[in-house]
Amino acid sequence: MGLLDKLVTLFGLRKQEVKVLVVGLNNSGKTTVLNHFKAEDDKSTEIVPTVGFNIEKFKNQNVGFTALDMSGQGRYRDLWEFYYKDCQGIIFVVDSSDRLRLAVVRHELDLLLQHPDVAGRALPILFLANKMDQRDALSSVKIAAGLGLDRILDKPWHICASNAVTGEGLEEGVTWFTQQVRQVGQPGNRPSRGGPLAAAK
Amino acid sequence: MMSSPRNLEYEQLWLNAHTDTRAAVYTFSSCITLADLNADGDFKLVVADLGTGSTNVKLKVYKGTSLHSETALLDVPTGVTSFYMDLNEPRMPAIAVASGSNIYIYKNMRPYFKFSLPSMDINPLEKDLWMQVRDEQIEHGVFIELLNNLRAEIGFSQMSTQSQHLLTLDSSNTSSFVQQNCKFPVKRQTVVTCMTTLKKALAEETAVSCLVVGTESSEILVLDPEAFTILEKIKLSDEDSTTLAVPAVLSACGLHAVEFRIVAACRDGSLRLARRGWTETKTLVQLPAQPVAMTISPDNASITIALMNQTLQCYSKKGKLQWMINLPAAACALCPVPLPHQSATLVAVSLNGGLLQLYNGRQLVDVIKAPQSVSGLVFGRFGQEENALIMFTVDGSLLVKILKRTAHFNLNGGGNTASVAPGAAQQIKLQIPKKTRLFLDQTMRERDNCVMMHRTFQRDLFQLRVDVARACVKALQSCNNPVSLEGAEPLKLSAQVLGLGPLFKMVISLQNISASSMIQGLGILFHFDDKMYSMDKPFINVPLLVPGLEYPFETMIRNISELALSDQVRVLVVKDGQSQPVLAAIINMPVCDLLGMV
Ligand SMILES: Nc1nc2c(ncn2[C@@H]2O[C@H](COP(=O)(O)OP(=O)(O)OP(=O)(O)O)[C@@H](O)[C@H]2O)c(=O)[nH]1
Ligand SMILES: [Mg+2]
Repeated sequence: MGLLDKLVTLFGLRKQEVKVLVVGLNNSGKTTVLNHFKAEDDKSTEIVPTVGFNIEKFKNQNVGFTALDMSGQGRYRDLWEFYYKDCQGIIFVVDSSDRLRLAVVRHELDLLLQHPDVAGRALPILFLANKMDQRDALSSVKIAAGLGLDRILDKPWHICASNAVTGEGLEEGVTWFTQQVRQVGQPGNRPSRGGPLAAAK
Repeated sequence: MMSSPRNLEYEQLWLNAHTDTRAAVYTFSSCITLADLNADGDFKLVVADLGTGSTNVKLKVYKGTSLHSETALLDVPTGVTSFYMDLNEPRMPAIAVASGSNIYIYKNMRPYFKFSLPSMDINPLEKDLWMQVRDEQIEHGVFIELLNNLRAEIGFSQMSTQSQHLLTLDSSNTSSFVQQNCKFPVKRQTVVTCMTTLKKALAEETAVSCLVVGTESSEILVLDPEAFTILEKIKLSDEDSTTLAVPAVLSACGLHAVEFRIVAACRDGSLRLARRGWTETKTLVQLPAQPVAMTISPDNASITIALMNQTLQCYSKKGKLQWMINLPAAACALCPVPLPHQSATLVAVSLNGGLLQLYNGRQLVDVIKAPQSVSGLVFGRFGQEENALIMFTVDGSLLVKILKRTAHFNLNGGGNTASVAPGAAQQIKLQIPKKTRLFLDQTMRERDNCVMMHRTFQRDLFQLRVDVARACVKALQSCNNPVSLEGAEPLKLSAQVLGLGPLFKMVISLQNISASSMIQGLGILFHFDDKMYSMDKPFINVPLLVPGLEYPFETMIRNISELALSDQVRVLVVKDGQSQPVLAAIINMPVCDLLGMV
C-alpha cells in the first residue's frame, strides 16, 4: 500500500490525533507497555499499580496517540466503559503467564465486546500477550483460543506476544495498530476484516 | 477448562478458572491457606496434602495453576495457617504447620522453627511402674495388668504416650515394646487438635498475629509469634463438672492486646468461649450434634456452625440460637465469603455429593455444583485475584472458581429463602411497635361496648348465613348448578365452546360422580334464542353413564344473528318422566370473529 500510505501521510494526517484505550487486568503490564513507547526522557523508572487512570501521549509513524492507561484492578474496571465511546482503538493487554485469570480476561473481554459503545463498531483491537518471557507463559495462539478471539468478526484485531520490559514484540503490534487507525480515519476505506490475516499483510 | 452445566435457578456468578482433576491432593479446609509468600502481591495456595494418611504427606505450594514447590512433612498435619510473625520488611508471612505435638514454622518455605507443646505431669505411680519394669523388678504381664488398672483409675488420656501405645498393642508385641521403651524416660505430651490465628495488637491485614492452638489435653494456648512463649493458657473445663472437652474447631476474633474472643467447638458437642483474661472457658451452649466446621462473623461475633446432623446453625455471641436450617445433605466443609462491595459476608457450605451452597444469614443465595464432595474449601485472594474460591474434592481434584466482577447476589430475600425450623422462628424477637394513642382509644371503646359489639357481630353473621342458605335453595330449585348431588343422579357437567365463530363446536361432558350406581335415561337439552343461534342437535340422548367416566357430547352451533352479537345458551340435563331438570348450566357464548363471517 506504499503510495496510498504516503499520500495519506502527506495530506493532513500528519497531525492526526488518535485516542486509544489501554485496558487489561491489573498487573498485566499496561503501564509498562506505554512506558516503552514514551520518549526516552519521559520514561518512568519505577512502575506502580495505576490508580484510576493515567493519560499518556506518544507518537508512532507520524500518528500522535493519546493513550488512556486504565487501572486494571477489580474496583476500577467499571471505569473502562466510560471511555469506549470516545476512543478510536483499544489495546488489550493480557498477562500470558496468569493462567488462573484467563477466564477473568475472557469475561472482561465479553463485557467489553457486548457494550453498546463497542458492539457494531469497527474498532481495531490490539491484543498483547504480554510477559512472554515468563516461564509458564501461554503462547499467543493459546491466548487467542482461550479468549475465543475468532468470535470477533466485525472488528479488525491482532494478537502478538510481547515483553513490555524489553519492548520485544511491541513494535509489530503498534505498527499494525497504527495502520488500522489510519484506515479507520480515512472515509471510504473499510478496515480489513478481523483475524490474524489482517496482520499478515 | 471445564464448564459446568448452566444452573437454571441461579445466575452464573462464578467463572471456572481452573480445574485439575489429577492434582491428587487429599486435604481438609483446616490444612489450606492463602498467603502472599514472597510479598509480591501474588498470593500462593499453601496446602498440606495428607496423601494416604500416613505416607506421602506433603506441604504443597501452588503459584496460580501450577505446583510451585513441595516439602515432605514428617507427620500428618492437623492444621496449616499463615501469619505474620514479625515486623520485618518485606512483609513475608510465615506458615505454621501443626502436626502431632509440634508446630513447625516455615519462612520462605524453609523450616525456621519448631515449637513443641510443653510436656505434662505423669502420674507418679505410672512412672514408678516403668522404673520397676526397667530394673526387672516386676514381670511384663504383671506390669501390663497394673497399667491397665491404672488406666481404669485415671483414664487413658491421662497416661504417658508410651503407656498409651503399649496398651493398644497386641499381647504378642508387648514384650518387645516394653524392652525397647523402658530405657527411655517416660513422657506425656499432648497433641494439637486444631489451630487458628489471632491478631496481636493491630487489625491490619499484615499485622502480627498470635497462634491459637487447641490441644488434646483440653487446653487452648495462645502463643507469642516472636518468642513462642505461651501468652495465654485457657482450660476447656466447666465450673461445676470435671469433664474436659477436647476442642475440634477453633475460631478467634478481636485483638490479643485489647479484647478477643476465642470460640471452641468441642468433640463433646459443646460450644465454649474464652475471652481476654479468662483462665477457663465458659460453655455457651450444648450443640445438638458434633461440629463439622465453624466461622465467626466479623461484624457481630455471631457463630455460624455446620453440624453433623445436616444442619447449619447460627448462634449469637452469647450462645443463643438465632436460626437453624436443614441442609439437603451432610456438610463437609464451610468457609466465609466476604463481599465488601455488597457489605456482607456469605457462608459457603460444601455438602456431601458435591453441592455447594452459599448463605447470607439463613437465606440461600447461590449454589455451585462440584463433581465430587468438596472436603477442603477456602475463599480469598489467590494469585492476583481477590475473590477466588478454592475447592479440593475428596477424590483429590483441585477446582478454582472466581467470582465475576459483575456478580451481584440477591441478598434481599426473594424466592430462595431457605426454610426455617419453626422452633427457631419462634425465638426471633419481633419488632413490636409502641402502642399509639389511637390503639389505646380503640381498646377502651372495645372494652366499654363489648356486649353491643358482640350482638352486632352475631346479627350480621346470622344475616350472612340466611343469605347464603337462600341463594343455595334458589340454585337448587332452579337446578342452576353444574353439579347435582341431589337425589338419585349425582352428576357433574362441564361445557366447552371451541372455535372462533360463527360456527362453534360445543362440547358437553357429563360425569357420573356416584360411587357405584349407574344413571340411565338422561338427555341434554339446549335452550337458546333461535334468532341468534341454530344448532344441529338441540337434544342429545345420553347413554348409560358408568360411574367415574367422563362422557363428552358434541354438537355444532352457528351464530345466525346479523349483528354478530352473542347470547347465552342454557344447557339442561333432563331425565325421562321427570318435569324438573336434573341440572342446568348457562353458557356465555363468545363473541364471534367478525372477519370469519365474511
Ligand atoms: N517479566 C515481565 N514482567 C513484566 C512485563 N510487563 C510488565 N511486567 C511487570 O509486571 C508488573 C505490573 O506491570 P504494570 O505495568 O504496573 O501493570 P498494569 O497493567 O499497569 O497494572 P495496573 O496499573 O494495576 O492495572 C510490573 O512489575 C512490571 O515490571 C513483561 O513483559 N515481562
Ligand atoms: Mg498501570
